[in-house]
Amino acid sequence: MIEEDARGLHIVPDSTKRRSAFSRLLDQGWFMAIASPIILLLLWEALVRGGLLDPRFFPAPSSVIQSLLAMASGRELWVHAGYTVSRMLVGFVLGAIPGVLLGIVMGLSAPIRAFLQPAIASIYPIPKIALFPLVMLIFGLGEPSKWVIVAVAVFFQVLMSTLAGVVNIDRIYLDVAADFRASRWQAYRTIALPAALPYIFTGFQLGLGMSLIVVVIAENFGTEYGLGYVIWHSWQIFEVRDMYVSLILVALLGYLSQLGLARLERVLIPWRRPAKQAAS
Amino acid sequence: MLVRTRPSSEPNDAAVMDVVPVTSKISVQGLSKQFRDGKMSVTALDTCNLEVQAGEFICVVGPSGCGKTTLLRILAGLESPTEGSVNIQRSGAAHPLTSMIFQETSIFPWLNVRANVGYGLMLRGVPRAEIDPVVDKFLALMGLDRFEHAYPYQLSGGMKQRVSVARAFANDPEVLLMDEPFAALDEQTKVVLQEELLRIWAQSRKTVIFITHSIDEALVLSDRVLVMSGRPGHLKADLPVRFARPRAVYDLKGDPEYGRLSREIWHMLRDGVVKP
Repeated sequence: MIEEDARGLHIVPDSTKRRSAFSRLLDQGWFMAIASPIILLLLWEALVRGGLLDPRFFPAPSSVIQSLLAMASGRELWVHAGYTVSRMLVGFVLGAIPGVLLGIVMGLSAPIRAFLQPAIASIYPIPKIALFPLVMLIFGLGEPSKWVIVAVAVFFQVLMSTLAGVVNIDRIYLDVAADFRASRWQAYRTIALPAALPYIFTGFQLGLGMSLIVVVIAENFGTEYGLGYVIWHSWQIFEVRDMYVSLILVALLGYLSQLGLARLERVLIPWRRPAKQAAS
Repeated sequence: MLVRTRPSSEPNDAAVMDVVPVTSKISVQGLSKQFRDGKMSVTALDTCNLEVQAGEFICVVGPSGCGKTTLLRILAGLESPTEGSVNIQRSGAAHPLTSMIFQETSIFPWLNVRANVGYGLMLRGVPRAEIDPVVDKFLALMGLDRFEHAYPYQLSGGMKQRVSVARAFANDPEVLLMDEPFAALDEQTKVVLQEELLRIWAQSRKTVIFITHSIDEALVLSDRVLVMSGRPGHLKADLPVRFARPRAVYDLKGDPEYGRLSREIWHMLRDGVVKP
């Protein structure tokens, strides 16, 4: 709605003064963001209490929170969470480092790329968890098999992203390196690695998401520890509230690890033009 | 074969001169370049001959696609010639042979201004304590001192090319090769940067080969203009430019000699472009 004043100038009405406090609250991104889960939980609670949802499958959020608080004050839940985190971390490091290195080498060397591409392209589409029985045959039921399956999942994500990053380096930067007589190693370190770093981080994000999926499923086998184990075990003994508590922790773990990675990215890639906030 | 004189192991320069009695800084003989594209073969350069003296500022003008950039890339060692030879005289082992300033933005987005300018020195393993004063000097000369910690995304196009110029000068090569470094800039920025280039060059008196499609730019900067014809590119004329230095870019344009040279070059270029 645009008005004109006496001089014929357009005046944009100052809407904030007329509108209510509530409608201004609706404009706040954070308010709308927390509103949807709260409404959902309230609805869920009401449906359970009203007898419309079966509490054996969908225990009321209030009772899940009670379980969460009770378990969080004990030691056991944190031991489980600790196992899951350490499996993710060890597997992530084991997969990400060779993924980055091989991605850079393949990206810069066409012969090596041509040699390895078919093997990688044929293994890449296999759901990595389908390799877990094979991994357990080779590495046994203990921790190593879990590290390895997480590493395999992370490796492919990071490799593919790094490769894409290096292949897409602007030719001009490699020309500059050649003009300054950079050695092959100097070109890797000063051009390929920093130029591909934003892509590598995308690979890290995808790999980390994948590692959480893989570890939770893998913890069904050969262990009595880990959040994944709790989920599977509580299914077997029909202890649904423990399952929900573990699911909440797995979600939190996924969220926090992505948040940590985003922080790390801001430290390691300071040359990136700050992204415009999607909310503003 | 690209012939580049080896850095002599002899410590004194007189001995080097005895071994290589060639007086030109750069000597290009019978240089040709063909690019193969499937079964088609395109001749980009056709038997170019060129002698450049030490400390000369040479501009090469020609229509786009005439092989100017190819000539420069061969001089830089980024392409190898199909036929002919390039010989660049070394004054000592301490300097790299050539450094190039590219047309498009070529400074590294992941390095700040200071690290970009010091890049060549860093690659050669020059100690930090020696890099810093050199970088400081060229940051100051190009008016970049206040921006030393800025990243390229924070700079305008003109500032980026200043960094590019500073990076090449800081590398302290025998010969500077410039491939239309100011072509993408607006007119005012271009004139300012041309004057700054002349000022920074006057301090070092490096040998420069500067590629441009602009007759004005060639006349303002150079001691000698080489005119290139269209495809296949060869050197068509060699005109001395004798304006006194230091030059003020805009004052020069009022000189009658300027108009005469400008017209002469234009007619040569037009013949190359209009040719059916």
